[in-house]
Amino acid sequence: MISLFWENLRISLGSIFGNKSRSILTALGIVIGVLSVTLMGTLISGLDRTFEKSMSFLSRDVLIISRMDWFGGDMDWWELRNRPRIKEDYVEQLREKSQFVAAVAPMAERGGSIIRGDKRIDTRFFGTTPEYMATNESADVKTGRYFTDGENRSGVRVMVIGGDVADALFPDEDPIDEYVKIGSHKFRVVGVLKKQGKFMGMFSLDNQAVLPFGTFQRLFSRRGWMNVRVKVNTDNYDEAKEEIYGVMRQIRGLKPMEKDDFAINQSATMEAQYKAIKLAIGGTGLFITALSLIVGGIGIMNIMFVSVKERTKEIGVRKALGATQSMILGQFLMEAVLICLIAGLVGMGLAGGLSLLINQFFPSSMPVGLAIGSIIISVVIGIVSGLVPSYQAARLDPIDALRYE
Amino acid sequence: MADLISLRGIKRHYDVGGEVVRALDGVDLIINHNEYISIMGPSGSGKSTMMNMIGCLDSPTEGVYEFEGELVHEMDDNQLASIRNRKIGFVFQTFNLLPKATALRNVEVPLIYANISKSERVKKAEKALLAVGLSDRMHHKPNELSGGQRQRVAIARALVNDPSILLADEPTGNLDSKSGVEIMKILDSLHDDGNTIILVTHEEYIAEHADRTINLFDGKIKEDRQTKKRKRVVA
Repeated sequence: MISLFWENLRISLGSIFGNKSRSILTALGIVIGVLSVTLMGTLISGLDRTFEKSMSFLSRDVLIISRMDWFGGDMDWWELRNRPRIKEDYVEQLREKSQFVAAVAPMAERGGSIIRGDKRIDTRFFGTTPEYMATNESADVKTGRYFTDGENRSGVRVMVIGGDVADALFPDEDPIDEYVKIGSHKFRVVGVLKKQGKFMGMFSLDNQAVLPFGTFQRLFSRRGWMNVRVKVNTDNYDEAKEEIYGVMRQIRGLKPMEKDDFAINQSATMEAQYKAIKLAIGGTGLFITALSLIVGGIGIMNIMFVSVKERTKEIGVRKALGATQSMILGQFLMEAVLICLIAGLVGMGLAGGLSLLINQFFPSSMPVGLAIGSIIISVVIGIVSGLVPSYQAARLDPIDALRYE
Repeated sequence: MADLISLRGIKRHYDVGGEVVRALDGVDLIINHNEYISIMGPSGSGKSTMMNMIGCLDSPTEGVYEFEGELVHEMDDNQLASIRNRKIGFVFQTFNLLPKATALRNVEVPLIYANISKSERVKKAEKALLAVGLSDRMHHKPNELSGGQRQRVAIARALVNDPSILLADEPTGNLDSKSGVEIMKILDSLHDDGNTIILVTHEEYIAEHADRTINLFDGKIKEDRQTKKRKRVVA
């Protein structure tokens, strides 16, 4: 049967390359189908890995207490708007009342420009305490130092800048002990943070600056937007979150029937949200792209019917010379599978090239499993769409086929 | 020696639009080894059906068909394919070569279905082409060959698997007279070498090559006669 396999392969190749333009057009459907499915999969997996990487800055053991939920929640905006703000003394109260607090730091935040001479960068700056470092694993000082408790209390104008800020304002110099300005206030740079990269490939985590909390409040605002970061000292995040909910309700002085007027966010909330979005986008995307594969398969089926029709006489001759039904079936099935396989490989190659191109703008790379999967899918499409025409060929009556002109 | 082919009470009826067409209507025929037979008859006489029946392309509606002891009338499609492959060599009026394959590859086809290895196939195919005088045209495609040469390729293909009978359906029908003579010479000499040959034709002068002529009319054998010994062609 091995010689028959090679013979069928040879016949199929002959038929495919003998009708070049027809084969190309037919294969195009599968090429486009495989291309779009693999590209979709590549993008989703790229999104996934970016998300995982980005999530590392939001450690799983960190809770962020804010006025608002990151992801909507089920409350009306006017209720949210009337929520009291988060106050700085919650930090100490949480430390005292909760048994799960490992480290806790306030985070006041605002946007603005940092200026040095004729250079400027639009950025976000945070006012926080030295304990912030303990609540954020991925934040680390690369050069210089972090500010001290003393500096924090006395409101000294010092600043730790992110990598992007350092690059923008001090392209060729060491920023340590140099001065920068926010508005009219002058700050001394004491440290540069290690680079963390981009969040979801969109905004840079290195475009930030950190000021002592006292300084921030004195210069900018006592009533601004504020969060409290809590790093918990247990693996049981749910229990810790539950307890901190209780403590926060107590701090806020909420009666048992009253609704929460604060939110506790954590990376898991973002993760859950992300997964839902991924499922929606990925599911719909894959479904739609899979439709194009089905259309491609129909094209293959169509052309196989034509091929069988055209070669009716040949089928008759082959049957007269002793080909059995399964031999004829194999011959045409091989042709359908081969077109799909070639188209699948081309589609995959294109998808691989395109993903490299896309990678310049948005992180993406084709997973090996997806590549193998798309080849298997092409073969399956070949079998499925080739089966009916091939069966028709196999069942032809040799006398009728020989008589066919 | 046992009969090569034995047809007993063979009927083949078709249902055409509710009307029964009796293409073969009770045929009894014995064919022995190394016979040279021509089957004749006007169109509609059942010639083609007879040829398809003997060639194991068709199964009888009724009757017994024995081919070297094998009961053809009981065979399914795959068994029929196998017996065609092993025991029957077809030569068609329109040659029926595969247009994209070389002469050599055309001749190899029956051997592929007989599951014979590549090297063996090539050896046998070359031998068969040599036998029909085409050893210098092996790598030509049908459209690079003359009609006579194409038919010789077809004869080589029919012979390559050492069949028990050679079944030729109007083998000269698409050829000019000179090529036709050549083809008939080849068939004659194949018969001289011990092959059994069955010719289906409506040309009297072609039928004269055979030793025995069977005349069909309305699906029945009207006449079965030994013709006078043809003049042997001495090469």
